[in-house]
Amino acid sequence: MLRFESVALRHADGTRALGGVSLEVPAGQFCVVLGASGAGKSTLLRTVNGLARPTGGTVRVEGTAIGPKTLSRIRPRIGMIHQQFNLVARSTVAENVLCGALPAMPLWRALPGLFTEAARRKACALVEAVGLGEEHLLRRVSELSGGQQQRVGIARAFMLDPPLVLADEPVASLDPQTSHDVLSLLRRQARERGATVLCSLHQLELAREFADRIVALRRGVVVFDGAPRAFGAQAFDAVYGRHADAPPADAADPAPAWQPPPSSPQPLPGGLLELAP
Amino acid sequence: MNAPATLAAGTRPPARPSSDWTLPRPFGLRTLLVLCALLAAGLFAGQRVELGRMLSLTGEGVLAAVGLREQSQVLSGLGTIARSLFPPQVSERTEVARIEGFDRERLPWFSHLETVETREPRLNPQTLAMEERVERREVLVQPLGYLWHVAAKMLETFEIAVWATLIAIVLSAPLAWCSARNYAPNRLVYGAARAVVGLLRAVPELVSALFLVLAYGFGPIAGVLALALHSAGFLGKFYAEDIETADDRPQEALRAIGAGKLEVMRFAVLPQVMPGFIAYTLYVLDRNVRMATVVGLVGAGGIGQELKGRYDMYNYAHVGTILIAIFLTVLLLDRVAARLRRRYG
Repeated sequence: MLRFESVALRHADGTRALGGVSLEVPAGQFCVVLGASGAGKSTLLRTVNGLARPTGGTVRVEGTAIGPKTLSRIRPRIGMIHQQFNLVARSTVAENVLCGALPAMPLWRALPGLFTEAARRKACALVEAVGLGEEHLLRRVSELSGGQQQRVGIARAFMLDPPLVLADEPVASLDPQTSHDVLSLLRRQARERGATVLCSLHQLELAREFADRIVALRRGVVVFDGAPRAFGAQAFDAVYGRHADAPPADAADPAPAWQPPPSSPQPLPGGLLELAP
Repeated sequence: MNAPATLAAGTRPPARPSSDWTLPRPFGLRTLLVLCALLAAGLFAGQRVELGRMLSLTGEGVLAAVGLREQSQVLSGLGTIARSLFPPQVSERTEVARIEGFDRERLPWFSHLETVETREPRLNPQTLAMEERVERREVLVQPLGYLWHVAAKMLETFEIAVWATLIAIVLSAPLAWCSARNYAPNRLVYGAARAVVGLLRAVPELVSALFLVLAYGFGPIAGVLALALHSAGFLGKFYAEDIETADDRPQEALRAIGAGKLEVMRFAVLPQVMPGFIAYTLYVLDRNVRMATVVGLVGAGGIGQELKGRYDMYNYAHVGTILIAIFLTVLLLDRVAARLRRRYG
């Protein structure tokens, strides 16, 4: 489905964002990319739909290498959910969701906003599927809460039934309970529609709960790749590094400290996972 | 989240006690010196534009108005104008003999005929005696005739302004696209579009109207074109600036799924910049109505042309009517624009 072949990306100023990532994501998998801020999660996701251009290696989606020539054909097959939702705040929910169908429309229909009846029905169905009601359809996005906005973002991403969905920190700006709800919604939608999801997260406990597979990055290099169960204290140190100011209890007994209490969706003590590498 | 990160990185300099910390002062000696220099320059410029005389003449006027002085140049000048503008001309009288194809049976609405007798002494060439001769002239009186005339001219002015604004919107759309850095196809087009926008704004309407009157002749065409060209430059610049500063995140979201530039502009940029566009466009319309009266002065149609004609014929009562009409129109437009802005802004 999705293959990274030693993908490397070096910014113009010489900093390395990705240092040769090789990875294969099979169809239908919910694959979480885990890592601290600046580990290269976003960059990795953005190389898939060409928002970032790798300086080395290739990304293949369904066997097609991503490049300037193939991009326009492949992009409509990749949905994307953004950290800052990236919705048009002044437009309505319906308009934002319908925007997801734009690449499949001829220009003469798109510019005056003449969406097909099928697209309109689909938009309504998706708005319902992400847990919003009819009363939200004509509301401006700016009037919605963060969680509701991200639901709109998810609905937009699924408009064209993309076989692959990129979710770039979809819950980074949401509170823990909402994060949980939004991620389970994303996972359920992807399951129902058979979409592969590549989702970047920085919250370990959310990754553990929702991922089929965790790929952890540190400074642009894969340092862990495996099932969530296998992600232990050693992997944690590899991803986030040992640090001086962790709470003493964790330093003394790291292994159980990272297990979230099974009943509670609360994140780990604030700040801990956000430390710069 | 940032504080522990900085701590961990260990980049913080050794802390000083807060008693040693300093906050910048709001202004210092240099600011004062600069202000003094600006004041001196302002005084120099003021003396060159006769601000002193303006103050003394205005002062005299105020004193005369409250009765502390016998007379004032300013006040008597203003008085003369006011007396000649008032009462404004409302009716229209035309000599029947001067109307071509006059039909006595079919008078215009609300009009009547009057016979005016004029007596004048005349020398009879036979008798060489002065005798009084009575001359009868028939006059068509339209009680609201001039008011209608002014209203029609005002409507023409408004139409000039509306069409100038419409043409300006159409012209400025491609200009704005090309002079927005993030949408211009390349640097060459960007530079050219910026230059065109700058040029259009640099030429005042009145000046371009002067030349367009030479090219298109007297009448509204020159007015529409002159206003449209200037407004296109104005709108192009402001539209482009709004497009450049629009939030990029929704645009990126649409680019990511493969939407084209036009679609991104239509669905991610336009909704964001619409309030600004409406505000600029209404301002331009408002300005065009006012400027349409001015370009009329050089013969580019509308009420300005009428104003200029009446002014040159010393028909100050007519000028009074025209001025009141312009004032009312601008006032009305202001109210309508405010309402539109509240509704769609």
